[in-house]
Amino acid sequence: MTRNDPIKHVFIWPALLIVLVISIFPLIYSLTTSFMSLRLVPPIPPRFVGFGNYIELLQNPRFWHVARTTSIIAFIAVALQYIIGFAIALALNARVPGEGIFRVGFLLPMLVAPVAVALIARQILNPTMGPLNELMALFGFPNLPFLTQTKWAIGAIISVEVWQWTPFVILMLLAGLQTLPDDVYEAAALENASPWQQFWGITFPMMLPISVAVVFIRLIESYKIIDTVFVMTGGGPGISTETLTLFAYQEGFKKFNLGYTSALSFLFLIVITIIGLVYLAILKPYLEKHK
Amino acid sequence: MRKFLIGSTAMALLAMSSATSALACDPDYTGVTLSATTQTGPYIASALQLAAKGWEQKTCGKVNVVEFPWSELYPKIVTTLTSGEDTFDVIAFAPAWAPDFTDYLSEMPKAMQSGPDWEDIAPVYRESLMVWNGKVLSQTMDGDVHTYTYRIDLFENPDNQKAFKEKYGYDLAPAKTWKQYLDIAEFFQQPDKGIWGTAEAFRRGGQQFWFFFSHAAGYTNHPDHKGSMFFDPDTMDAQINNPGWVRGLEEYIRSSKLAPPNALNFSFGEVNAAFAGGQAAESIGWGDTGVIAADPKQSKVSGNVGSAMLPGSDEIWNYKTKKWDKFDHVVESPFMAFGGWQAAVPASSTKQEAAWDYIKYLTSPEVSGQAAITGGTGVNPYRISHTTNLDLWSKLFSQREAKEYLGAQKDSVTAKNVALDMRLPGYFSYTEILEIELSKALAGESTPQQALDSVAEQWNKLTDEFGRDKQLAAYRASMGLPQK
Repeated sequence: MTRNDPIKHVFIWPALLIVLVISIFPLIYSLTTSFMSLRLVPPIPPRFVGFGNYIELLQNPRFWHVARTTSIIAFIAVALQYIIGFAIALALNARVPGEGIFRVGFLLPMLVAPVAVALIARQILNPTMGPLNELMALFGFPNLPFLTQTKWAIGAIISVEVWQWTPFVILMLLAGLQTLPDDVYEAAALENASPWQQFWGITFPMMLPISVAVVFIRLIESYKIIDTVFVMTGGGPGISTETLTLFAYQEGFKKFNLGYTSALSFLFLIVITIIGLVYLAILKPYLEKHK
Repeated sequence: MRKFLIGSTAMALLAMSSATSALACDPDYTGVTLSATTQTGPYIASALQLAAKGWEQKTCGKVNVVEFPWSELYPKIVTTLTSGEDTFDVIAFAPAWAPDFTDYLSEMPKAMQSGPDWEDIAPVYRESLMVWNGKVLSQTMDGDVHTYTYRIDLFENPDNQKAFKEKYGYDLAPAKTWKQYLDIAEFFQQPDKGIWGTAEAFRRGGQQFWFFFSHAAGYTNHPDHKGSMFFDPDTMDAQINNPGWVRGLEEYIRSSKLAPPNALNFSFGEVNAAFAGGQAAESIGWGDTGVIAADPKQSKVSGNVGSAMLPGSDEIWNYKTKKWDKFDHVVESPFMAFGGWQAAVPASSTKQEAAWDYIKYLTSPEVSGQAAITGGTGVNPYRISHTTNLDLWSKLFSQREAKEYLGAQKDSVTAKNVALDMRLPGYFSYTEILEIELSKALAGESTPQQALDSVAEQWNKLTDEFGRDKQLAAYRASMGLPQK
């Protein structure tokens, strides 16, 4: 078959059409919708509004509040997941007796559906009947408002996120740790480098590429958080624990305001893209240095 | 002769078999397949399915119940109706959506609008919730009214009665007014004993606003100004920040302080759990609370579940004079929260006769009576016979519990000043605004007046966005007022 053989079209076009229909068309449709005033309830004829939905969103204090809440949850949760996950991965990499049991035990939370995790958390955090209340009551702090006061509620959501997704970080970092060459550590040991020095001089720099990837994945996933918040607080009190995706859900499935929701989805995409680009730009010099 | 005998026997058998067939199919809908849609079960969908089995046996027709998640049900129905497709023969929907559907629904056959079964439907459904601009376009298949539930053992404890009278100066009894409701809640607030005053839904997205509406109805549903509770029925200006609503919100917030510590996170499910778990002395909500609390398998307080109508008030805000009107008696304004699922037949259906016959069977006193006492159907009483047949309910309640429960249901739906829920195009856009502001007020982030001023401003903006005249017409129709 030569480069100009027309048979190539038979192979290329179906694939291209499938990609267009499955992947690109929904995005284009959604983008088009974001420039329209389109409501299903009550049914109002679609109207082109240009950037009207975007401007309205950017002028809506709720959008900024929700973006800030999502960022707080995402950054704090991912930072904690990384620190705790790295520590546990290091411990598991030390090949302690019963390591296999620990490994399975630590990975279990990740395998549970987020909705189920949130339901369990809601029961544990119940201020009158939950086991945490009983424990806190022993220390003289009964009936703490875990899910009904803003700071406590955000803390509770972050805790659940950390509990559920730290295993993912452990899994990835452990895989990375097991690929590190032993000879570098043997050389460091000959130079009398302490474990602390070995960590900062060898382990951390060599794990940087995979760390960047893991944190990046978790950050994007955390920005999409909805199920945990929906079950635990419903976004309340007020809108204090509402996240971007929950906001989009409320607009889309309660108000059926499709144009506005599409604009919100694209703004969300822009926010995530900017965060990703800034994150990679900041880390690029370090990655280059340790290549 | 033998041929004659064989022939006559065969004829007789044939005649018998056709007679049996005619008896089995009454009316005969052999070959007719209906498509009925509603939300994903078990609630309501299981009632449709249970009735489908009986209707199929009776008529030889067939019913396919098509279920959609709550979030997809409205768009699915509205798209089908507006496009004129013959997709569904029966739709079971939330009453709040009625304004968007009524143009596309067939009228209930006149034969169904008379007789004992028709008269048996509680008037508020028959005359208001099933009617749109003078036409009966749907059939209620579930009753939804808020009532009051209390602990008989706590209320009838002589020590409690004595202490209550000493403290408040009147007898401890089921609350007649919202002030009494709060007094009782305050009296029973005993966290050290694991008992709190009341339990209501306060969680955003957890049916919260209907509980607030129940409080506010007592102060805003003026008997002389029908349909003025939510909006001015002449101008469509929001009324939600008038002093009656503010008082309702103040008391709703006060209730949240007299409830278990996590009550701000209570949906209706948690209200039921708290009451059935013996945590609350009194509570308001739908009929499910009484049913769950009376069930010894689910409840610690079974045998002690008392019921009554919602408390009322002898002062009601007059939106015309902008003054409080005093009454010489307590005006009861039980609130039709949500309003009960409706079943209707789209005008585009080609099997309207069979579809209405299925609805008639589904909502018949016998079939609906069974559904009302079957857990998981989500069907609450809406017929008078549902509330008078004590034997039916004796499976669930003790004699006294049944009598009070059914009495409360009946008195509520037949009350003179019953308060209708709002039914407007974009209903959940209005309630979403309200939920956010309510939630802020409950958390102490805004005062009741600030919260409701904000709601009123946003509601008016939304009304303008949707078209004030269109919304006004829908609001008046939903409240049973003639068009201007």
